Amino acid sequence: MKKIKILTIILAIILISMVGFVGVYVKEQNRMENQVKDYSLLSNLSGERTVRLTVNKDSEEIIKDAEGNVVETEEELTDEQLAEKGYTKESVPNNSQEVLNVDNYNKTKEVIEKRLKRLGVQEYEITVDENTGDIILRLPENSNTDTIISNIYTVGKFEIVDSETEEVLINNDDIKDVSVMYGSTGTTASTGTSVYLQIEFNKEGTKKLETVSTTYSSNSVDSNTTETNTAETNSTNTNSTDANTTTENTTANESTDNTTNTENTAGTDDSSTTSEPKEVTLRIDDTEMMTTSFDEPMRTGKMQLTVGTSTTDTSTLNDNLNRASNIAAIIGEGNLPIEYDVTSNEYILTDITEQQVLYVLIAILIIASLGILVWIFRFKLMGLLSGFAYIGLAAIYLLIIRYTNVAISLEGAYGILVILILNYIFINMLLKKIKNQSKKPTKEEVNIAEKETFKEFFIKIVPICIAIVVFCFIQWTPISSFGMVMFWGIALIAIYNYIVTDSLLKIKADK
Amino acid sequence: MEQLRKNKNKILIILIAIILIAGIAMIVIRGFNFELKYQNTQRVEMYLKQEFNVSDIKNITNEVLAGQTVMIQKVEVYEDMVAITSNQITDEQKTNLVQKINEKYGTELNADEIQIENIPHTRGRDIIKPYLIPFALATGIILVYVAIRYRKLGAVKVILKTAIILVVAEAVLASVIAITRLPIGKTTIPLAIAVYLLTLVCITSSLENKLKINAKKEEK
Repeated sequence: MKKIKILTIILAIILISMVGFVGVYVKEQNRMENQVKDYSLLSNLSGERTVRLTVNKDSEEIIKDAEGNVVETEEELTDEQLAEKGYTKESVPNNSQEVLNVDNYNKTKEVIEKRLKRLGVQEYEITVDENTGDIILRLPENSNTDTIISNIYTVGKFEIVDSETEEVLINNDDIKDVSVMYGSTGTTASTGTSVYLQIEFNKEGTKKLETVSTTYSSNSVDSNTTETNTAETNSTNTNSTDANTTTENTTANESTDNTTNTENTAGTDDSSTTSEPKEVTLRIDDTEMMTTSFDEPMRTGKMQLTVGTSTTDTSTLNDNLNRASNIAAIIGEGNLPIEYDVTSNEYILTDITEQQVLYVLIAILIIASLGILVWIFRFKLMGLLSGFAYIGLAAIYLLIIRYTNVAISLEGAYGILVILILNYIFINMLLKKIKNQSKKPTKEEVNIAEKETFKEFFIKIVPICIAIVVFCFIQWTPISSFGMVMFWGIALIAIYNYIVTDSLLKIKADK
Repeated sequence: MEQLRKNKNKILIILIAIILIAGIAMIVIRGFNFELKYQNTQRVEMYLKQEFNVSDIKNITNEVLAGQTVMIQKVEVYEDMVAITSNQITDEQKTNLVQKINEKYGTELNADEIQIENIPHTRGRDIIKPYLIPFALATGIILVYVAIRYRKLGAVKVILKTAIILVVAEAVLASVIAITRLPIGKTTIPLAIAVYLLTLVCITSSLENKLKINAKKEEK
């Protein structure tokens, strides 16, 4: 009966080992496919998107009149026409020589890093060539990579300007933070969720906003202005706030109704207006986002802009959230001092070759085999049974890593190795303690040895467990991968050895 | 026995001091040796229009870029493009590479159309930076734990000892890396983690033993 028990456990271990190490292959469309989930590898083990950002060297041609003022012309003027009108043509580089310096290259790098963190990129490498300003960015490959790339090199120049005079009233320097929030809107049956971009201004910016919102207030223009329709600026991604808007989960809803937007072309619908209110235009990278006036002075230093329309559709809502997050990342972390272009964008595989991986696996296999042989030599049948248990743990461990979706980084791969070493140490301690009890141990003696081993081993690794738990929560995937791999490994060492290894040894001892 | 232990400790401290001094000297004089990926390098990319073996390309680079450290990577999902990176690739070497690759793969690549890209180096502190907070945080919590668990041995003493040993262990690792000219790269952080964990186990084992000895003394 005991032989059957031992054989059953060993057969189960062999079966699991085959699944864990080899896989389960099923014929699909004339080829064998492994039904066991594949490993999820991080970029330092699989490959990474490598992007080269190069300083923009283009120039823009501008026309100036005799007094040196820039002249905006719709039509293209010939040299003769220019000379006739007394205009001159000048070529102005997008990046002037003054801005092309090491400080600005490094500032660009810092802004890009902040944007990456804001966009939730947890694994990246960025280097800057201090001579040319070229930036090399290495990112993990996923469905968001292209969106992230398009956002990180956008200059992100935020401006609120006078609609008529184009005078810059507020810019990036006045922004403290930009956050994304959402809340339900509408009081009738047609409720939905709106996404807001909340721009929080710094001390200086708050003063400026108050001044601007007072100067450009629709109420301050004429007392006869009775009604201003809220209209959406559909030409841009950012739409107006609704007059009926109520925000949940937000603390800044007091400012929600402060902006009243008007269509660029339609203007306001006044029944008895005698003069138009002054308006401001909000621009990001010279792209007009909206033109608006203010209902009342904004003293909170916060301004909310609705992104997209209110919706009940999850997909649209997610799109709006992503769009708002991208805008927040672009303008919330300051603008790039230099304009860049993407000159190379490609997926480059890791330089770790299959051959190198094979060598490492062979080395592990040899060391593990030698370790098990040492057990057999020292502890005889108990050593052999422990060897089987050890292999079983390794197989189950690999399956757990795959099915718990733990993304494996190079650090994570080392974590696997550490767990195999720790498990060896644990079983070795257990076998030694059993042997110390007596040469032919009884079930009770194995029990005592087991308790002592558990206590001694886990007390010693408490600091390791603390470090692992901390690593699991770190938002830097290489280290969190190590934490997760180690977490499952240590949990498995405790549970598996308690159930399988000890059972095998107890059955043997009882015999 | 006690004398033997003290002598062993003295030898260990002297050995550590020598390693640290030698390491610092090496860092000051020659700095760390970085893996090619983190150095100022040059790269050429060639579209082979077919899958290839890295070992075949390696044979070509061994001939053309003899004596130079070379990194060969497959590019794009179809793996039909190769990126060859080395410290320096001259125009002549590029031409030779193109010529040999054309011969091997029957391609008609033109050396003039292939550019040598300059890849800037990665600063050592940029590699380490993301790991500092996790380690500092973990160490902080561990120090609180050891202070509580081993309070009978003197909380402040235990905290200081643990912190110093952890720092010294990592410093010794850095010194060994500098002395042996082991390249700083993909294996460095895992190595640092391994040393960190091993040191923690050693510290805990030592403190547990001391705790046991103290308990025995108290019993007596």
